[in-house]
Amino acid sequence: MTAEPAALDQWYVLGAIGDFPQGQSSRRLLGTNLAVTRAGDRFTIESNGPPAAVRTDYGHLWTTLGTPARPVFDLPESRESDRRAVYCGAVTVRASGLRLIENFLDLAHFPYVHTDILGTEARPEVAKYEVEQRRDVDELWATKCEFFQPKAAAASEGGQISRYMYRVVSPFNVMLYKTPPAAPDRWDVIALFVQPVEPDLSIAHPYMLVIDDISTDAELIGFQQMIFLQDKIVLENQRPKLLPLQPGRETPTRADLSSVLYRRWLKEKQLRYGVEERTDLA
Amino acid sequence: MWVPIALGRDVPRGATRAVLLEGEELVVWRGEAGTVQVWEDRCPHRGMRLSFGFVRGDALNCLYHGWEYGAGASCRRIPAHPDLTVPPTIRAKAFAATETGGLILVDRDGTGGPPPLMLAGLPVASLAIAADPETLFQLVPATPRPDPQLVEATLDGVRFHLGWHVPGPGRIMLHALVLDPGAESRALIALHKLRSEAEARRAA
Repeated sequence: MTAEPAALDQWYVLGAIGDFPQGQSSRRLLGTNLAVTRAGDRFTIESNGPPAAVRTDYGHLWTTLGTPARPVFDLPESRESDRRAVYCGAVTVRASGLRLIENFLDLAHFPYVHTDILGTEARPEVAKYEVEQRRDVDELWATKCEFFQPKAAAASEGGQISRYMYRVVSPFNVMLYKTPPAAPDRWDVIALFVQPVEPDLSIAHPYMLVIDDISTDAELIGFQQMIFLQDKIVLENQRPKLLPLQPGRETPTRADLSSVLYRRWLKEKQLRYGVEERTDLA
Repeated sequence: MWVPIALGRDVPRGATRAVLLEGEELVVWRGEAGTVQVWEDRCPHRGMRLSFGFVRGDALNCLYHGWEYGAGASCRRIPAHPDLTVPPTIRAKAFAATETGGLILVDRDGTGGPPPLMLAGLPVASLAIAADPETLFQLVPATPRPDPQLVEATLDGVRFHLGWHVPGPGRIMLHALVLDPGAESRALIALHKLRSEAEARRAA
């Protein structure tokens, strides 16, 4: 499948800076092979045509195969000096990147997929939360999300009602804000940058900006990887592998408000990469 | 049409099994009451395969969000909304299923009529063979039964009921039961010999 303008005109992550050796390496994005050349901290990225645009933001290498309307999204928390930035490693997932983003926005799976960690079967209810499309910045937000969590983070010592916010900054990039065990008045940031390799094959790059003086890096990474590998089991066994946008193909409920808004936004953008082909449009 | 898809023994109470039938993913499961169910392997909520789910009582629950489906495949509980009365339109896709003579059969298109009735055999094995049914049955002296994809056959002196289904092109899944008590060991050896011969013929 050839990527359409709605998919091309976006910024995409290619990996954490530290994962690129000096000299040549290769990556794949939207079905296109890329040659990445690193000289010191300077990068060039080439496919078939002229060199592609390069950004190094938030510890990651970014590029685009089109003409994005906006720069790489802003992540103001990356400038707060008391946060720890933690790369969690790249995870290949045989599913549409859009499925990854949608799963990341989902609260209701916590008791079943992350049992006794991010949720418990005894308290599965998803309370009403708010969603909003911020047209001035072209972002989606879900706010006032609350969920009881037996072990909300690596440093948790017991259960808590976690507060969450979600921020979708582009079809394949999302972050969540979550109350840290140690600082209830601030927000931990957990980002998920998705590199769509093929419509049904993705590389997830989870990245954390957290307030945690206790846990070691290994503990933070281990916790995040455990969570993500639990999600991977689900993501690789959803049918179809591509995200269906056709009405009636899946069954949302009130807890899926953020998914409903996300899908509407993707339709509005006419995004098709990673979307199941529709049969209801003439 | 009724198609054998598994040995009843291999789907105990409380278990789910994934079965691929002509490219279609099915879940076979059995609740505590003992009745076997065959559904499309897909939760209508987010498309998660129900074979990854868990059985409690007489219900199958999706692994992803715990949606609970009772007999007949109606969703009766959505845990994220404990007070919600689930609309009857929310349901998984159920197929007609039956169990006879140690075999589980499904009628996907509803054209099978009354389900087959067979004498009980002793379940031996379900065996995946990389050959198409035509190639395989050139090697098996078999007596057709009135039911499709079911035969009586004698292999190396052991009498069998053989049911089968086709997971995909060039593959067959054989469900074997023996009719002679005490012949299970010889039956297993005969089946594996048959598989080797069928796959060798395919390679040739």
